Amino acid sequence: MKLKYTLLVTALASTTLHAEVNISGFASMTGGQVLSGSGVPQFGLEPTFLADYPIVSAYKEDLSFSPESLIGLQISSDLGEGLSVTGQIVARGANDYDAEFEWAYASYEINDNWTFQVGKKRLPLFYYSDFYDVGYAYVWMRAPADNYTWQIFNYEGANLLYSGAIGDWGISANVYTGREDDTENKLLSEFFFQTPTREIWEDILGGVVQLSYDWLELRVTHMRYTNKRFRNGEPELWNGKDSRDGKFYGLAANADFGNVFILSEFNRLDLDGDLDTYMISAGYRFDTITPYIMYSNFEQKDGDDPEKHDTRAVGVRWDFHPSAAFKVQYDKVEDDSTALAVAGDSESLTFGVDLVF
Amino acid sequence: MRNLIYAVLLSSAFNAYAGVSVIVHPSNGSSFDTSTINRIFTGKEKSFSNGNKAIPVSQEPGNPITDEFNSKALNKSSAQLKAYWSKLIFTGKGTPPKEVSNDAEVIKMVSANPDTIGFVSSDSVTDAVKVVQQF
Repeated sequence: MKLKYTLLVTALASTTLHAEVNISGFASMTGGQVLSGSGVPQFGLEPTFLADYPIVSAYKEDLSFSPESLIGLQISSDLGEGLSVTGQIVARGANDYDAEFEWAYASYEINDNWTFQVGKKRLPLFYYSDFYDVGYAYVWMRAPADNYTWQIFNYEGANLLYSGAIGDWGISANVYTGREDDTENKLLSEFFFQTPTREIWEDILGGVVQLSYDWLELRVTHMRYTNKRFRNGEPELWNGKDSRDGKFYGLAANADFGNVFILSEFNRLDLDGDLDTYMISAGYRFDTITPYIMYSNFEQKDGDDPEKHDTRAVGVRWDFHPSAAFKVQYDKVEDDSTALAVAGDSESLTFGVDLVF
Repeated sequence: MRNLIYAVLLSSAFNAYAGVSVIVHPSNGSSFDTSTINRIFTGKEKSFSNGNKAIPVSQEPGNPITDEFNSKALNKSSAQLKAYWSKLIFTGKGTPPKEVSNDAEVIKMVSANPDTIGFVSSDSVTDAVKVVQQF
């Protein structure tokens, strides 16, 4: 954030246009390994800790630094009169550091309260979705994997944002619509089906309302979409149809009393039956050292052998530098299903540095 | 004897800490309390109660006065505040206040622009600005 470059862009005409370009960024350098794990013998999967679903950050029994390390650059330019443009390029170890635009949008501030955005953005399903990549902004190594399991991470569309206050309550809200056509979805193609899978979420329509009052923060969200999927080019059929509708509901509540804080999130996805997830976490700030605990759970409500897994985590964040934090976290995952097993049971240790600049 | 020690301790404490003064342009008649100041400096409130746009001016993170303001007015450590702003910056939801390097620069900006609000060490306050809150 401290790095700011001012570029003077000279227009072709006789007038001179000043466009201030701000560059800021974030990075995480993370290592880790599975200490012990069952893997999924029926799928031929060795002991694995799937730390992240959409990006498929998978740790094995050998120490590795690539699954979750990343560097992101945000470039934004204020064009004046409320108009700005922002791009965020992220290079991930999980993708051999191939840099990609994850965000690219134009923003127009209608007035103090309303902003309209159009372009490519993060799909704001969960409390931590929007700043998922910015490890410095939250206490854990990562947002709990059991909650953040959905295939689609970004969308292209439009977003109307409100920000205001009623008395001592701060209110922010947004409504968004759009679609995402992921021609080779990483989670489905590389992990679950191991065949090229195209995942489409269309007619996405969602809303988020966030309220904050001193120590309390509440977030409520709802989103609906239509899902289509092609495996090896063949349309996937659900009950004889080539599409299905999903409805997502989420509630997050955070309480921060200065030193003690409690974080929680509850989500339901209704997609031919309910998939429920929740997370609860607590921590204590001893000046620059913040130990924390976290429990997260995923449970499919229907079926004889439903998908079911949970994670217990304990860790420490140490703010050793004004712009960087060191973190270390132990995760114990239990995977209780057979046909829908994800990565089996595992115990693992991950550590790393998150920074912003 | 004990009273004397107390007096010495107290006076030295006061000398070391002049306190933080939150300042605005003398023409700004808006009402301020700790909660309003907190919301303006965390980007949750964008206008003064007089209806004008509010432009907060902060100081560099290394300045002792910045830490004092952050902990007393915003109830956050510098690291917590940085984490808070990273969340907003990288999601396109907000921009942190502009940072200047010392009290004199804050006073210069605030005395020149009726839309600004800043904080300085109480020792540095001049007639060119109006103090609306002290911590």
